[in-house]
Amino acid sequence: MPVIKDVVCTLCGCLCDDLEATVEDNKITKVGKACKLGRAKTMGPFLHERIEKPMIRENGELKECSYDEAITKAAEILVAAKRPMSYGWCSTSCEAIEKAILLAEETGSLIDSTANVCHGPSALAAQEKGAPSCSLGTAKNYADLIIFWGCNPVHAHPRHQTRYSTMAKGAFTPNGKKDKKMVVVDPRNTDTAKKADLLLQLKPGTDYVLIEALRAIVNGHEDVLPDEIAGLPKAKVLELAEMCKAAKFGIIYFGMGITQTRGRYKSGDNVSSLISDLNQITKFVMIGMRGHYNVTGFGQVASWETGFPMAIDFSRGYPYYNPGETGTNDVLMRREVDAFITGAADPGAHFPQESVKHLFKIPAIQIDGYANPTTEFSDVVIPAAIAGVECDGTAYRMDCQPIRMKKLVETTFKTDEEILTEIIAKVRELKGNGAKGGA
Amino acid sequence: MQTVTLTPKRSPTISIEAENITPDAFAGKSTAEIGAITAWEGNEEITLADIFDVAVDGSGDAAGTKIVIDGDVPRVKRIGEAMTAGEIVIKGNVDMRCGARMSGGSITVEGNADSWVGREMTGGEILVKGNAAYYAGGGYRGETCGMRGGKLTIEGDVLDFLGEHMCGGEIIVKGNARLLPGVLNWSGTITIEGDTTLPGGEMKSGTIFVKGKVLEMLPSYRDEGTEEVDGVTYRKYTGDLSRNGEGVLYVSV
Amino acid sequence: MAEMIIKNGVVYDPKNGIDGEKNEICIKDGKIVENVGAGAKIVDAEGCVVMAGGVDGHTHCAGKINTGRIMSPHDMRYAPIPGLSGEEPRTKLLRPQVGYNTPNTYAIGYRYSKLGYTSIAEAAITPMMARHMHEEFEEIPILDKLGLVLMGSNWQVMQYIQDKDPEKLKAYMAWVLLAARGYGVKVVNPGGGSSWTWGKNVSGLDDKVVDFDVTPADILIGLAEANEALNLPHSIHVHCNNLGMPGNISTTLDTMKLLEKVKTKRDRQVMHVTHVQFNAYTGTSWMDFASGAQDVAEYINKHDHITFDMGQLMFGPAMTMTADGPTEYRNARMFDAKWSNYDQELEDAGGVVPLSYTSQHFAHATMWAIGLELALLVKDPWKVMFTTDNPNGGAFVNYPEGQALLMSDKKRQEVIAGFPDMTMDRITLPNIDRELDWGEIATMTRAMSAKMLGLEEKGHLGVGADADVAIYNIQPDKVDPSVEHEKIKKALSFAKYTIKSGEIVVRDGEITATPKGKVYWVNAYENGIAQGEKDRLMTDLEERFAKYYSIQLSNYMVEDAYLPRPVEIRPEVI
Repeated sequence: MPVIKDVVCTLCGCLCDDLEATVEDNKITKVGKACKLGRAKTMGPFLHERIEKPMIRENGELKECSYDEAITKAAEILVAAKRPMSYGWCSTSCEAIEKAILLAEETGSLIDSTANVCHGPSALAAQEKGAPSCSLGTAKNYADLIIFWGCNPVHAHPRHQTRYSTMAKGAFTPNGKKDKKMVVVDPRNTDTAKKADLLLQLKPGTDYVLIEALRAIVNGHEDVLPDEIAGLPKAKVLELAEMCKAAKFGIIYFGMGITQTRGRYKSGDNVSSLISDLNQITKFVMIGMRGHYNVTGFGQVASWETGFPMAIDFSRGYPYYNPGETGTNDVLMRREVDAFITGAADPGAHFPQESVKHLFKIPAIQIDGYANPTTEFSDVVIPAAIAGVECDGTAYRMDCQPIRMKKLVETTFKTDEEILTEIIAKVRELKGNGAKGGA
Repeated sequence: MQTVTLTPKRSPTISIEAENITPDAFAGKSTAEIGAITAWEGNEEITLADIFDVAVDGSGDAAGTKIVIDGDVPRVKRIGEAMTAGEIVIKGNVDMRCGARMSGGSITVEGNADSWVGREMTGGEILVKGNAAYYAGGGYRGETCGMRGGKLTIEGDVLDFLGEHMCGGEIIVKGNARLLPGVLNWSGTITIEGDTTLPGGEMKSGTIFVKGKVLEMLPSYRDEGTEEVDGVTYRKYTGDLSRNGEGVLYVSV
Repeated sequence: MAEMIIKNGVVYDPKNGIDGEKNEICIKDGKIVENVGAGAKIVDAEGCVVMAGGVDGHTHCAGKINTGRIMSPHDMRYAPIPGLSGEEPRTKLLRPQVGYNTPNTYAIGYRYSKLGYTSIAEAAITPMMARHMHEEFEEIPILDKLGLVLMGSNWQVMQYIQDKDPEKLKAYMAWVLLAARGYGVKVVNPGGGSSWTWGKNVSGLDDKVVDFDVTPADILIGLAEANEALNLPHSIHVHCNNLGMPGNISTTLDTMKLLEKVKTKRDRQVMHVTHVQFNAYTGTSWMDFASGAQDVAEYINKHDHITFDMGQLMFGPAMTMTADGPTEYRNARMFDAKWSNYDQELEDAGGVVPLSYTSQHFAHATMWAIGLELALLVKDPWKVMFTTDNPNGGAFVNYPEGQALLMSDKKRQEVIAGFPDMTMDRITLPNIDRELDWGEIATMTRAMSAKMLGLEEKGHLGVGADADVAIYNIQPDKVDPSVEHEKIKKALSFAKYTIKSGEIVVRDGEITATPKGKVYWVNAYENGIAQGEKDRLMTDLEERFAKYYSIQLSNYMVEDAYLPRPVEIRPEVI
């Protein structure tokens, strides 16, 4: 039974690349070294039902059809639209993302990634202040102070602490946890927090305030701080500041507690400034705990292709970017979108009610391996191969490290890249015949 | 003097990008010429005549041109963008980026303005009689400086990030400013007559007056005691000390 | 199959001794040939200067630049040079273009081509990030590309030098080039990138690297000797320690002197020193800092083992991006600017910080002068490459401006006249009246860069060369570059023709075709390293990967899929 080693997991931003997949009869029967989530993802095609055939909705019911029919219908929908929206693309390869962007360009669409509901604010923070960061191996080798801010790796990134952070053994941290201190900043006493050396259980929505206080301390102004900050006693805030100053190499891993709470990206960008201030005293860096395994990849690809990492509007022929105006939910909530295409994401499950209501009203195309709430409102459903299992391609880890995913089994499903390439060809055909739309 | 009246003839759901609705673009043009000016509805190029009935009275240069939008335009963006002179009156609500990069002239919005009204303005005056949403008088993504000059007055309330990255000019909000007004500002004056939360986040320099209540103060400002300005007694704070800022925040007592 | 003949142009081909002759250039199947048949396509270069396509031997165009893009959404709309910057919508032929300092990949390919450049070298990539560089390369149209791989702060490199194990070092360097599909060896602030992981730096050539028992001098000699033992086409390519610091002239000269003892069998330099402008400061602080260009030029004029590039400053917004992590942090704090940083495990550092240069600040004015002084005081143009260290000194679309300045003393004096008084004691440019001619410009922008890199088929128009040709709309006998600065700048900005591998890609300053270019890389490992040494190296690497890296060894090597059109160069084993 062949065991494929060094398989790249396609679940979360950890992008663990040491998995071992046992393949029997073109099926993955065992996955070694993965966490539960990773194992489930890798074996997914062999455990769950998937969309077997392309479908087009007729009279409210999804009816099976050929790939060609579905792709043609998808192209027709997009070409007819004045404000089409392309969304998702974070659980697929960079090669597919490039095609999704080209398709958006050719149809004068908006295109955005799942960062819209997640770590989008991190890109905004980088725009304001920059991204003072490092690779995960550097973090493993050097960090003696680890701060998890607004994230809960025990549940969301299960192998993070053993591979990269709290328990990892590195060049200057050969004793793992014993050589490090771990701090959690979170309004909840999470499972990660339970093992922390220090927990700052701040009042919800006060991350920005806490960062302001820390910066004031680092810049020598602790005398102006009040006795209570962000729902915490001043002494606790001073304690954290002291730990930071005393560290040899500190790292802040931040999650949606920073990116999605009051002040949103302002908190993230203020962390960036805090890191810059701390570097006057000691070495400090930050890394965003990206959720989907290739949301970082979308940001990278979109940036080199269009200049912008997400929320891109091609309706004027060149990319325009303004989250708050061009982000997926910004446009959906205003009901401007008149056609929707999604791949490698599940907006039906994750979007606000208002947006989903609108999605039910407009023509929608879904490209995915599995049926999910998004299928409920889709008018064209195109089954795709699962990247990293049934086809290879590039993904970027949360620290921007690109790794090539492997193809583990053969499949008859088309890949996202192939599907998008065919839709583009159909769009060109339709537009060449005088169909309107796009620039 | 030239007056151009644009009466909306439909209510688009998809936003129209109409950066050519400016006195500069309309000056000296006829009804037909103005009707033929391009705008964009999503990815489709249209003309102003597609969405407005156009009526022109007289002729003039930019400074002598007044544009009246006789109705609600909640889905028409970029009106007055980069205008240098003249006047625009919008008799209703207006969409995003109204008056962005304006350097002269005046815009009056009788209803509400959506986000980014007066973005990066360097001169001229904007008056919004209703509310303005996010980033009123704010900057462009990535720029260190946003609004640089001119005067922006909002009679209603504003949401978050009023005057973000402000580097000059004046903003007056008669109602409330929801969160982080004047964040990352370098210069300029902001006056909030209502209430606000966390004013002057990361302010480097500049002045903020809050005549209502500060519902939550940043912890990184230094209390300098009271001071009277124009007959009103304020508590004066300096900061934002999180970045060694030298801005001043006046909060009425 | 396709045949082409370029007629009536005034040809400058310094490598082949052609300095302004009316010659025909014959092209067949993408190569320069002796002659072609009667049916060949005629390209009429009447009234034009004809040169080989430009070769930019040092530019930040793929990889780290993406961090710059993410930090600069506002750069995307910035359009100071119409036709070469800002937003341009897609056309039937072209993808949309954005940006000025950090343009998107399509803009990079199109705009370099408009400038008549046909080959570019990404200046610095860590081996672990090379995959990213190759992904961006694939999206840059038209141009041929190569990447210089960072090795100067690499744990294995330092360890093997420390262990006095030159064979292992050789094997490792060759292996790294294979793993990264890289072309040459880049050294940035040697040793400093590793010390920076603790927030420290090295202060000079003899300062030990934190955690290692080696100095920057040891690293430079070790890498240079191994580079020559491997017979690599390019020499080591070095960004000296102490960049950007007043008084760094001594470090720069010491670095150049240090390499005198290394010998090469190839017909080229032993070290290429990059963006020397940033490393040519006398003085002790910003108050008394001044141009050290004279000292550098004097040394280079007397020694033949060095080539260098200018790193010319251009006034306006710029984007600094470099593996010199500590310098970037210093910049960010000094100017209260945005700061991105990246410490790559075991390999090197990096930083990205936006800056802006103004002629009204004496320091920037001095820096601007230094770049030009270096190019004008060094007598032999074969030692000088024109660069702006794009986009650190300025965006590459300013190259025509810089080249026109080298050709016109009058224009230089005009600019200097606008400088603050505090500049004047610091520079010698006002007293330099040398004006470069077309042959010298051709040398500094294509002939010497190709030679310096070891690219035998580039940078010249002799038989056998790649058919990469730039034709500029300038009559050399009618237009005086000394006086007509604007005409020169315009002609160099929008080529009359750019030909890439025998295909016309630019006509009258507009892109007419978008073929995909090739990626050059050097394989000195397969045949160049004995099996015994390979085994010895791999044993060590397997252990290091298991202990220190965060990626599996098998997933580290750049796969074939990333180079659809590779040109693999295997140096002769010596």
